Amino acid sequence: MIERDHKSAAFFDAAAEDRLVIRRCIGCRQALPPEAVVCTTCAGTDLEWVQAEGTGLLASYTVVHRAPHPAYRVPYTIGVVELDEGPWLYARVNAESPTVGLPVRVAFRHPEEGESFPVFEEVPA
Amino acid sequence: MSIANRTTIAGLGLTDVGKVYDRSATELAAEAVRLAAVDAGLPLTEVDGLLVSAGVSGAPKLSLQKVLGLTDLRLLAEFNALGASPAAMIAHAAATVANGEASAVACVFADAPLKPKGSARDAFGKPRARPTGFAAYHAEIGAVTPNLFYALAAQRHMATYGTTSEQFGAIAVGQRAWAADNPAAQFRDPLTLELHQASPLVAEPLRLFDCCLVSNGGAAVIVTSAERAADLAQPPVEVLGWGQAHPGRVMHRDSDFGLRTGAADAGPAALKMAGVDVGDVDLLQLYDCYTYTVLVTLEDYGFVPKGEGGAFVAEGHLAPGGSLPCNTGGGQLSAYYLTGFTPVVEAVVQARGQGGARQVDKTDVVMVSGNGGVLEHHATLVLGGAR
Ligand SMILES: [Zn+2]
Repeated sequence: MIERDHKSAAFFDAAAEDRLVIRRCIGCRQALPPEAVVCTTCAGTDLEWVQAEGTGLLASYTVVHRAPHPAYRVPYTIGVVELDEGPWLYARVNAESPTVGLPVRVAFRHPEEGESFPVFEEVPA
Repeated sequence: MSIANRTTIAGLGLTDVGKVYDRSATELAAEAVRLAAVDAGLPLTEVDGLLVSAGVSGAPKLSLQKVLGLTDLRLLAEFNALGASPAAMIAHAAATVANGEASAVACVFADAPLKPKGSARDAFGKPRARPTGFAAYHAEIGAVTPNLFYALAAQRHMATYGTTSEQFGAIAVGQRAWAADNPAAQFRDPLTLELHQASPLVAEPLRLFDCCLVSNGGAAVIVTSAERAADLAQPPVEVLGWGQAHPGRVMHRDSDFGLRTGAADAGPAALKMAGVDVGDVDLLQLYDCYTYTVLVTLEDYGFVPKGEGGAFVAEGHLAPGGSLPCNTGGGQLSAYYLTGFTPVVEAVVQARGQGGARQVDKTDVVMVSGNGGVLEHHATLVLGGAR
């Protein structure tokens, strides 16, 4: 179950509405991952939330076979999703046979308890 | 002459390693320092510097000074660059000794992650207690543990350069062959490529035999000036050069995550300080938390062009009888995992000519890597064998 904190509140509010938001540096316009607290280009700390298209590709992925903890059901796929805006984020991926470079798009999970969160699905050819 | 040429590793201490359940991390650390002093032929009371590095146990701490009964130290600190700590500590100790700020600095790491009924998964896989925010999201989706993040790195290397699981396997097979002649190694039974390929997937592309083992134990070295070492018990091992690089992790399209690591900056810096280049290196001891880590470090240090590491290792160059012996004690994959001390210990043993059945012929220049986090921290040492 995901419990929000003050740095992630806007992200989970958006996820509850099926929207993916990322950070953007107000100073240099660099698009940044949702968890960014500082701009990796200019070191600026004035960041804003902006909506992402929700499309991208797999910069990498792994199918996890050995559960890191008994609470996880294996196998599951974790992707490094490269959003079209540039930032990377770690996410669950639903794809028949994932490959690096596979186009993906966002969907959302709305668990009964805890915050909503994004997952990514293979874009049908 | 650079400042580096005036310092040596004069003492080496290694406790029992593996399923050692009867001693705490602090006790293991104290034992390692005492063993290193005895090994050097140096009274413990003459140690005037102490750098301590902790693993998942959270100890040793500064209080190791008291445990060892040391007083009037000129240097004392807890050191944390994760797996890069041992090489970085030794570099710091060498600089301190070269500057005349201290004369005999002990550097130590110990950990006791294994519990009698536990497993490696219990030791390193526990989600942090009730994370919130993005950490809670990562815990929810299972984007946790080093296995998974190194798998993501290895997968990207494979996709970009055509590296294969069989090529990773060649590293594991070669190191197991070296481990056969290391009495301290936890895994000494022969490993074949077929067994590697048949070992269970942990997180694709990493199989069980691509992953390091988990050990309890402690290791220490004592760094002194070359002049001091000349009067001590062991053949001195020169500290010729060092370098660090901390690239962090860029989470963006431009990131070279998985493709290029801090080794690409730290390695050349260390070689330059030593006044040598990769062609002069006789022996490699590379941090091998995963087979992939060895491969990417080989490329980043410049032993092979980027992307050609897989083909190179598959030719058997790193294994016994190969042209570039690497991880000659079996490494973290087959011998024991004491973070960056695993490669340091074997480097010192070989540089002294004390490798027994696994001793290599030439150890004039020995290159040692340390790697911390998920490729976020790197430290390199260049050591010179006793001549
Ligand atoms: Zn900026």
